[in-house]
Amino acid sequence: MASLDYAYRRLVNTLGPERVARSEFERMVYSHDFASLPKIALLQWRLYPDFVALPQTTEEVAALVKLSDESLLQITPRGGGTGWCGGSVPNRGGVLVDMRKMNNVLALDPDTRTVTVEAGATWKEVEDFVESKGFALPTIPLNAAGSTVGGSINSGSTGFGGLRGGSVRDAIASLEVILPNGSLLKTASQADAGGQLANLTPLFFGAEGTLGIVTKAILRVVPKPEISKPLTYAFPNLAAAARCLKGIVDAALTPYHAALMDRDHFVFDRALEADSPDPTDLALVAVQGSKDDVADQEKAMDGLAAKEQGTKLPPAVGDRLWRDRYNNYSARRLSRGLMVSYNLVPLRRLPEAVEKAMEIRDKLKLNGSVQAHIVDTTTAALDPYVLMDDTKPSGGTALGFVKRMGDAAFKMEGHPMGLGLFLVFNLRKMHGNATSAYSAVKGVFDPRKKINGGKTFEVWTKYPWPGLRSIPPPGMAIGLEVAAILRRVKPTRDRFVRAYEHTKEG
Amino acid sequence: MGLLRDWHYVEKAVQIPALAELIREALIHALFVRDDRVLPRDLIADLNRVPPVTVKVKEDAEVRKLVRVLNGQESTVSLGLSAEDYHYFRTQLGVGRTREFGVTMRPRTLLTYDWIVPEQRGVQLDFTGYAGIEFAVDGHRAIAQVGALWKRLYDEASERGHLVPFVPTVPLDFAVGDALYGDAPFASFRGGFASYVNALRTISAYGQRARIGFEEVANYGTAYDLLHAAIPLAGEFFIPLSAALRLEAKPAARKTLTYGFDDPAKLSAGLDRLCRFGPGVNWVHITDAVAAKILRPATPPEASTVQVSLGATTTGIAAKEKALDVAMVGFKAKSSETPNPYDVSADAYRKTADTVARSLFVGEVRVPAKSFGEFLGKVRAFGDQSAAKAGAYANLQETGSVSTYPFFSAPKDRTKVYDLSKGVRAIVTRTPGAAFTSRLAHLWDEEPNFLRRMSLVRSLKLEIDEAHVVQPLISP
Repeated sequence: MASLDYAYRRLVNTLGPERVARSEFERMVYSHDFASLPKIALLQWRLYPDFVALPQTTEEVAALVKLSDESLLQITPRGGGTGWCGGSVPNRGGVLVDMRKMNNVLALDPDTRTVTVEAGATWKEVEDFVESKGFALPTIPLNAAGSTVGGSINSGSTGFGGLRGGSVRDAIASLEVILPNGSLLKTASQADAGGQLANLTPLFFGAEGTLGIVTKAILRVVPKPEISKPLTYAFPNLAAAARCLKGIVDAALTPYHAALMDRDHFVFDRALEADSPDPTDLALVAVQGSKDDVADQEKAMDGLAAKEQGTKLPPAVGDRLWRDRYNNYSARRLSRGLMVSYNLVPLRRLPEAVEKAMEIRDKLKLNGSVQAHIVDTTTAALDPYVLMDDTKPSGGTALGFVKRMGDAAFKMEGHPMGLGLFLVFNLRKMHGNATSAYSAVKGVFDPRKKINGGKTFEVWTKYPWPGLRSIPPPGMAIGLEVAAILRRVKPTRDRFVRAYEHTKEG
Repeated sequence: MGLLRDWHYVEKAVQIPALAELIREALIHALFVRDDRVLPRDLIADLNRVPPVTVKVKEDAEVRKLVRVLNGQESTVSLGLSAEDYHYFRTQLGVGRTREFGVTMRPRTLLTYDWIVPEQRGVQLDFTGYAGIEFAVDGHRAIAQVGALWKRLYDEASERGHLVPFVPTVPLDFAVGDALYGDAPFASFRGGFASYVNALRTISAYGQRARIGFEEVANYGTAYDLLHAAIPLAGEFFIPLSAALRLEAKPAARKTLTYGFDDPAKLSAGLDRLCRFGPGVNWVHITDAVAAKILRPATPPEASTVQVSLGATTTGIAAKEKALDVAMVGFKAKSSETPNPYDVSADAYRKTADTVARSLFVGEVRVPAKSFGEFLGKVRAFGDQSAAKAGAYANLQETGSVSTYPFFSAPKDRTKVYDLSKGVRAIVTRTPGAAFTSRLAHLWDEEPNFLRRMSLVRSLKLEIDEAHVVQPLISP
């Protein structure tokens, strides 16, 4: 391996000094993603990258990848860092490639109804651009304000518009990817060939940056709807809201978005902003279309909600929630950290799933909120979050929540989302006998494991010595299970709790 | 669509010194029509070899055992055959000689043409008897075994309050598996068949049950989306046995509206507006006069007919129909009584399918909606020039593409198929934004990015099917 100083000089020669960082502070910023990690994790992984590189062109990304053949440093691609399982965090230092400087919207083609964007652009930026031209994105990830196009493609995310517009995967016409050998691959044909002509795009959807670095995406756009109207309904409990969401699909309605949030989310919100909606278990449904169509959908929704004793809330509530829809984790400001557990569960079992999530949260004596949204006619995303104080050694025990939620999702014939660095133990549970076929994909694209190695289907540690080089994935599961047990036995009284409980009781 | 074996064979054949001087297309032509004046005797023998044994599958355990025998993990004794069958099986396969055996799946109905390179040696699986369908009790999901007929799935789902969103653009009597290892053109307005597949139950090359995807939920955030990358070639990676399909709820009100057009420009403009229509449209089926005559012999056909299946609430359907009329402005005639090809009895469907199947199909052409009318005119003119009356079945997709299946009234001999395919390709190359996605078009394509992708897919196949059992690749 070349010395770090030599590697630094080569990086600076490629990108210039202003786009290569190696200071302690800058490296620290990139040592975690949206999930909070206890300090103890540093014993296991070298989470601080050696360098942070900020390329601006596809050619520069290719040069960085080729440079790693000389320096033998691992490459970790990263978008907005809104992931939750360590997919964009280094495990052995190396070069972290922050794609956010490649954030241009390059072209909108009204004829083919596609928009070409660089991978570092956030979804919100792309949405604003296409809306200014009279179009809309068919689907958009939950964290659109911070999530980059490349980042969410790599995490295989779900979000707004799935029931009507299909998945984010279906919204991608083609990708440009720098492969681990430094070459450029276009993942699909130029023409709309409907998945034929060897379309490799799906392989990169959810790949967590392990197959290459996505530099550009051609996304499909749809005509901007005439009217968009958010509707909100308060329910006596969360299970009733879940039944209402299921009822939407059973009634063959196709709103743009349908989600539920529990009252705790609004309790947190109120602790931060006095004018937030009154805490209640509610469903948020956004309907779009022509004036007649929206009126018809609204009427049908009112009927469905009434069946579950739902009360329609004033339009101002819906408008506010819709305006803030990309900023769903403001509760993080109350604590030092926040953990999100993303899971997909069968829509038909959503009422049971939300109750299970509340049960796990309460058993582990955690403060958090249960949320869910419809993904498609069979699937709902259950994405509860819990608050944690990662400044205390015991704060990390909240990570046990993610493990327990994932196990519950499997039991309900669903699965947790994301593998990254922390949840690799779920891979075999997800794919069973097909796991080896998934590992084969990495072997074909990156046999030397240069890009984001030691993740997704194996867990590397920072130690290069035989026997300690990697951890058996079940070991991680045991660790998180122990965290859950500790959490249950000796709950941490998190710093923010007093303020929160005061609000809740008040 | 079984493609990798043909593509690999062609790639290897161009490297044979004796054939290296042939241009690629001439070689593909020679291989396709099995031209013994051009090809060496060994290659002709490869092309004429057929799998000697066909096994009618009744349960997945049989397939598992068979695969384990074929890849050498178990002996033929474990097949439990009678003495006579045992002898026959071993003799036909040539067991005992140094040979590799593969297993291939036989499509029930093939829209276009057979593979260039048949399965060499080995066993062909016939899934016609493996046709169970299981519906979720409280959700919109079905698990259909690969031999289950699409029409049966459609009818039984409808009885249970579900809607099967995808329909065959060319109304043939396809089985569900034909979309996995054949070329069944299932699609809806909102997407292709793959969009509606949650998971596949398969048997791996090692004889293990392997589920690709998740039966009850979508497949996001679980590492590579191998399921959707593999679906067009599923039968070359695994042996698919069942597909978990995502259905929809049957809307409270449904209507099929039929619009007749006599002007291609108006048709194209109407389709272009229609693809921006939004929710409520289940499928849009387009036929020219020749196809319409086959589907509805009793009705005088328009030059082009567009059938739109609408679904909505009982109160909303009228407004949707009104909006649709506005989108389709320029039509010559409109009817809400004309039957669609799918909502008919199973017998009537099969009868029509038999008639449809007499035509010669060359594969799918994707055309931008704006150019569809013009494309159709060119195909018709080409058919007239080739003394093979041309027609087309098509469906419109939300993306603005029309997935078109041109057909010709011509005998289905391989030379004719090749020549007509070549003619269609010539039209496609002159149509901006169009793509020809037939198997021959894949073999003709020499675009560097496409070749790289195919090469990666081949590497992936060789890694996943390390035992060389599932439609193994063959070199000349």
